[in-house]
Amino acid sequence: MAETTEPILEVRGLVKHYPLTSGILFKKQVGAVKAVDGVDFELARGETLGIVGESGCGKSTVAKMLVNLEKPTAGEIRYKGEDITRLSGKALKAVRRNIQMVFQDPYTSLNPRMTVGDIIGEAYDIHPEVAPKGDRRRRVQQLLDVVGLNPEYINRYPHQFSGGQRQRIGIARGLALRPEIIVADEPVSALDVSVQAQVINLMGRLQDEFDLSYIFIAHDLSIVRHISDRVGVMYLGRIVETGRDAEIYDHPTHPYTQALLSAVPVPDPQAREHRERIILAGDVPSPTNIPSGCRFRTRCWKARERCALEVPALAVPAEFRSVSGPAAHDSACHFAEEKQVVPPEGEGEGESGGGGSGPG
Amino acid sequence: MLLEVRDLHVEFHTRDGVAKAVNGVNYGVDAGETLAVLGESGSGKSVTAQTIMGILDVPPGRITAGEILFEGRDLLKLKEDERRKVRGAEMAMIFQDALSSLNPVLTVGDQLGEMFTVHRGMSRKDARAKAVELMDRVRIPAARERVKQYPHQFSGGMRQRIMIAMAMALEPKLIIADEPTTALDVTVQAQVMDLLAELQRELHMGLILITHDLGVVADVADKIAVMYAGRIVETAPVHDIYKAPAHPYTRGLLESIPRLDQKGQELYAIKGLPPNLTRIPPGCAFHPRCPMAQDVCRTDVPPLYDVTESDAERGSACHFWRECLHG
Repeated sequence: MAETTEPILEVRGLVKHYPLTSGILFKKQVGAVKAVDGVDFELARGETLGIVGESGCGKSTVAKMLVNLEKPTAGEIRYKGEDITRLSGKALKAVRRNIQMVFQDPYTSLNPRMTVGDIIGEAYDIHPEVAPKGDRRRRVQQLLDVVGLNPEYINRYPHQFSGGQRQRIGIARGLALRPEIIVADEPVSALDVSVQAQVINLMGRLQDEFDLSYIFIAHDLSIVRHISDRVGVMYLGRIVETGRDAEIYDHPTHPYTQALLSAVPVPDPQAREHRERIILAGDVPSPTNIPSGCRFRTRCWKARERCALEVPALAVPAEFRSVSGPAAHDSACHFAEEKQVVPPEGEGEGESGGGGSGPG
Repeated sequence: MLLEVRDLHVEFHTRDGVAKAVNGVNYGVDAGETLAVLGESGSGKSVTAQTIMGILDVPPGRITAGEILFEGRDLLKLKEDERRKVRGAEMAMIFQDALSSLNPVLTVGDQLGEMFTVHRGMSRKDARAKAVELMDRVRIPAARERVKQYPHQFSGGMRQRIMIAMAMALEPKLIIADEPTTALDVTVQAQVMDLLAELQRELHMGLILITHDLGVVADVADKIAVMYAGRIVETAPVHDIYKAPAHPYTRGLLESIPRLDQKGQELYAIKGLPPNLTRIPPGCAFHPRCPMAQDVCRTDVPPLYDVTESDAERGSACHFWRECLHG
């Protein structure tokens, strides 16, 4: 992937707190749901940043803030150096054209009363400069063709399509304004396994064709590894570990990442015996009442006194700072330790699907 | 064999015609054994399970042929009141979505206790004590206090534990778990699957695990039945199928999943879409999507060929299973 020095998107100290109030007449804030609590990341042109985490970790709230569906409580989102959280009116509209979203559920994110042509073409009503009026139908048909749908389906309604086809429509809508960044929030999790692969391949192809940068949000770690150049692992509103895909998957240093990776069922019955699994105790704490210090400490098997007192910074841990290697990447843990939890490729006879060659 | 499904056919009458959801399914599970039924949405895996449990909505559903032998007795021939004695006590089911499967206006203690008051004629007080015991067993902390709480007061993982407790309550011989961990996060999924496997071992139950997740299957199953368009297309012991699938659909599925330990380039994708059940293609239902399809596939429905090569039984419903297995 081509990388330039200037990131196309830069997020600094992003925070989203939803106030909890009590009282009817005199509303008084009694607390806050800290959905996102200080997130930093960068996205380079043509790059894919994967964000993984369990439900409630704030990954979807981050996505919504990036496309301006939610206003951040604090923090900056810099698009080509310009903080878009401060923009309004025309300037905001111009930026939003360049950051588009693909939603999770292709069943509820398409208006059932609109034809596919209207759904995709609606974007041109808001941004008429992208396509002159007479040209829109052709543009929409082109887009349908690009995402692998028959251009003649332009007058059909969403219910006439299967889940995978609907997600293609959602992707076509995301592409309509020729954005530079696409934020995809769980784009394949509602799809069947055999259809997932089609959509993931499509997204990969479109990235090359249109020089897109992706923020790819998912809970499925295998899919994120497949598509991402870099990965950020979120827990309770913060990124706890981030690095290139091999750094995170093959050399995780944060205990949460290690537990998450070890819990993923691997489609290989041979791995059953020689795989060490870390089973975390309990559930994720409530985002209204985040533990002091390290927010993972309540479920961490390594937690000590220091973890309750000091918030660990997201940086290369001291013990890895002097060495260069895959373990030297940002990890927010006081006691970071490298641990291999995913058995390396080709160990044992764990190859799936009878060798590498496909049947077609 | 604890449970044997023989040549089961189920169809649904819909506005668009007759949807043939299950078209001749055969499978069996022994005590202490785990059978994974793998398939995508619309493959008929859940309908088969509902038919076994006797909770299929009739109409619109209709069982047109087949037998379900549970310890040698054909369940489909039982009267509803006899069937009810089997359901819950002899076989139980765990559903995907615990929140909508539990009654929101009853405490979990009442719902767990109901198993004992209804099936065992216990007093409410004894049933409550049993409920606490069960919650302890599925490792819900502070069971004595939480037994008085309502389902919405529990997290997703805890709710699924309650579902498991309810299914285990009368120590049935067979458990059918329909996507038990699909709605859960990975770390919680691992906890719940471990618990389920442990209880199964302890009680020596048969387990039918219905799932679309090849990873979960590899972790817990002894044998697999892969379903497509209402038919079983491949059955095999779990190790064999991952090493060398004997059906192009299974092979496609295995190759289309991204893996945690591999950074792939282009994923193999099975082309096209699963068929509409009101218009299942003639011949092999998979032929329009199959890279190996020949003329015979378009006309002749492949039987489940015996493809056993070692001591463990295997079957594949592909005319070209030899090419698939060795090619």
